[in-house]
Amino acid sequence: MYKTKIISALMAASLMAGVSPAAAGSGPIKIVLAEEADLLEPCMATRSNIGRIIMENVSETLTELDVRGKKGVMPRLAEKWEQTADGSWRFHLRQGVKFSNGTTFDAKDVKHSFERIFSDKNACESRRYFGGMKIDTTVVDANTIDFKVDPVQPILPLLMSLVTIVPEETPMEFIREPIGTGPYALSNWTPGQQIVLTGRSDYWGDKPQVTQATYLFRSDPAVRAAMVQTGEADLSPSISQLDATNTKTDFSYLDSETVYLRIDHNIAPLNDVRVRKALNLAIDRQAFVGSLVPDGAVLATALVPPTTLGWNPDVKVFPFDPEGAKKLLEQAKADGVAVETPITVIARTANFPNVTEIMEAIQAQLQDVGFKIDLKFVEVAEHEGYYSKPFKEGRGPILVAASHDNSKGDPSFTMFFKYATKGTQAGFSDPKVDDLIQRATAAVGDERAKLWSQLIAYLHDDVVADVLLFHMVGFSRVSERLDFKPTIATNSMLQLSDISIK
Amino acid sequence: MLSFIRKRSLSSLLSLIGLLVMVFFLSRLTGDPAALFLPVEASAEMKQQFRELHGLNDPLLVQFGRYVGNVLTGDLGESLRKARPALDVVLEAFVWTLWLAAITMSLVASAAIVVGSLAAFRTGGFFDRLSSMVSLIGASVPDFWLAIVAIVVFSIQLAWLPTSGTGSVLHWILPIGVLFVRPFGIIVQVVRGSMISALSSAYVKTARAKGVKAGPIIFVHALRNAMLPVITVLGDQAASLLNGAVIVETIFGFPGVGKLMIDSILQRDFNVVLAAILVTAVAIFLMNVLIDLAYAVLDPRIRH
Repeated sequence: MYKTKIISALMAASLMAGVSPAAAGSGPIKIVLAEEADLLEPCMATRSNIGRIIMENVSETLTELDVRGKKGVMPRLAEKWEQTADGSWRFHLRQGVKFSNGTTFDAKDVKHSFERIFSDKNACESRRYFGGMKIDTTVVDANTIDFKVDPVQPILPLLMSLVTIVPEETPMEFIREPIGTGPYALSNWTPGQQIVLTGRSDYWGDKPQVTQATYLFRSDPAVRAAMVQTGEADLSPSISQLDATNTKTDFSYLDSETVYLRIDHNIAPLNDVRVRKALNLAIDRQAFVGSLVPDGAVLATALVPPTTLGWNPDVKVFPFDPEGAKKLLEQAKADGVAVETPITVIARTANFPNVTEIMEAIQAQLQDVGFKIDLKFVEVAEHEGYYSKPFKEGRGPILVAASHDNSKGDPSFTMFFKYATKGTQAGFSDPKVDDLIQRATAAVGDERAKLWSQLIAYLHDDVVADVLLFHMVGFSRVSERLDFKPTIATNSMLQLSDISIK
Repeated sequence: MLSFIRKRSLSSLLSLIGLLVMVFFLSRLTGDPAALFLPVEASAEMKQQFRELHGLNDPLLVQFGRYVGNVLTGDLGESLRKARPALDVVLEAFVWTLWLAAITMSLVASAAIVVGSLAAFRTGGFFDRLSSMVSLIGASVPDFWLAIVAIVVFSIQLAWLPTSGTGSVLHWILPIGVLFVRPFGIIVQVVRGSMISALSSAYVKTARAKGVKAGPIIFVHALRNAMLPVITVLGDQAASLLNGAVIVETIFGFPGVGKLMIDSILQRDFNVVLAAILVTAVAIFLMNVLIDLAYAVLDPRIRH
């Protein structure tokens, strides 16, 4: 509504392009973000508004996922790791690393960081990645630590990329001034105004070109774009599509959000696979791209983006086939399925750009093939009530429009929650799905990728689990003095060391 | 006068208590903060533990009793989201809002009184028509639109002022300019109306007959009598600014109490909502007392 600019052509930036070789420049930069970090707590760094500032800048992890290349899990504070015969993991830690308070990093800090995220004195978000696991940590020596996890965790090194390491002295309660081993330390935080990170001279790794980063916060996307344009800021990772008009500074990037309609298979007529297929055939996904959904968005065949392990290129998007959908509905009706029962689509206000228009168009397309669709918009908390278990008793057939974010590189962060019988947002229960998730979660290497691929195909083609729609794109504005291309992880993490100054 | 202030304080205190009780229970009706603080994938155990950590599992009346006990000892609780005292969070933001409101309303009052009085002196004249048109536009223009246009013109095109934020005097110009427009439009109209009626009164005619010049007639004889309704409307407008100029704060990234209040409601940060309401309610009460005092100063009939 605020926008005064008109839509113009969008540029096709390379999505996963690497940063150009380092140039000679160095100096301070300013970054303008949409949402202020209310807390700079390291164990909350998996929340995007916090992680974008401190993750790997102030607080580092034992491992990190390569989101720019295909190196997979890479060493960070751990130099190497191995799995022992009993399934435990041994991590060998980097030596000569100091926290910004001057203390030396060692295995006791890692142990404490784990104890802290499981403490009942805080509500650390990173704990959610270890649900159902029992973790015993044993300090072998100052630079070696063992993790015995029950059940055995083949992806523990990947999970380590989500746990930030704090010094042993950190209290269990939430803190507001993070101490980390990263290349930057917090030097100023004026709530509501700015957060400043300043480069550390005693950092163990390569010295980044950005010497200081000032984070500013503006909710309005047009203002964020204007700030980079006028030089008040150098980078805004998120601007609106309407403002992304300058091909020299504005880039679109696949932002790891996948939009879909979650089908509740428990209630007729959605318990019939023909009806679920008809839902998928009735929607003209391609027509949305470039109109209501930005150019560059990718039609989804899985709830995880294409950069994820095991993403299956052989699974094809359902074609737009209204006649086919009508036929399927007729067949189901002939077999006594109550296809005329009104189905409610629940969508969340302001969940993603153009959500109202997209949902209204989908409603119209579904109605065109014979579905009776009610569309209901709700706010975030009510949406959560429909999306997550326990589902309400006596509910009618429901499709929940939702947006799911997985930039972590492995489907395990998605599949259990969305598809396993015990998953909080699973709309069905299928023993084969449970088995595949269990086996894939426990597998390693090619076997793991193969099992995830198999699951993705089974969910899409046989179960017809949901109506998958789009992998969305975001838009960023980067000053011409910087050399930086956003990645699929930019939503949740913005490493200052990835930014070069021309 | 003292007994008047005492009576006003007592009735305001009762209203304030009623308001806090209402907000306490109504805010709890909006749902569970754990659902918003933790991600959708968080397990039921994590949510349960979050509620226990913040005492949200206790019966509502127990929570209320604890809240009242804490408030009586001056403790308004901790912000769920920011892990620091709610009152500190609110006062930090309120200082910005107070400055914004005070500067804006001082400018509005001075400008609107001069323009409204001059317009009333020659009703139907060029200046009157011009000021009526300008003030009507000012009273009707949407502030989000004005704010964006101001940024495009003054920051992007002319590059005279920063787009948003804080840090220098220049940063205050656009937010104050945008906030100025609407109350100015409204108050010019009120001053004009009130002055027209004062200027047609018998004592002004007498003054004119005695040969008093236009300036003293407007600003000494008529204005003082015309000020009572103007002060009432000024108070109204100032109160709405003290509640926070949400849109202007949002667009200009101004760390005021309005945006804080809206964000806290959306995030179910109950303690911050209650503290913000308490602080703004006290401020509005103090302002109303000042307005009453101003009435008494301007009009001896009220004083006596």
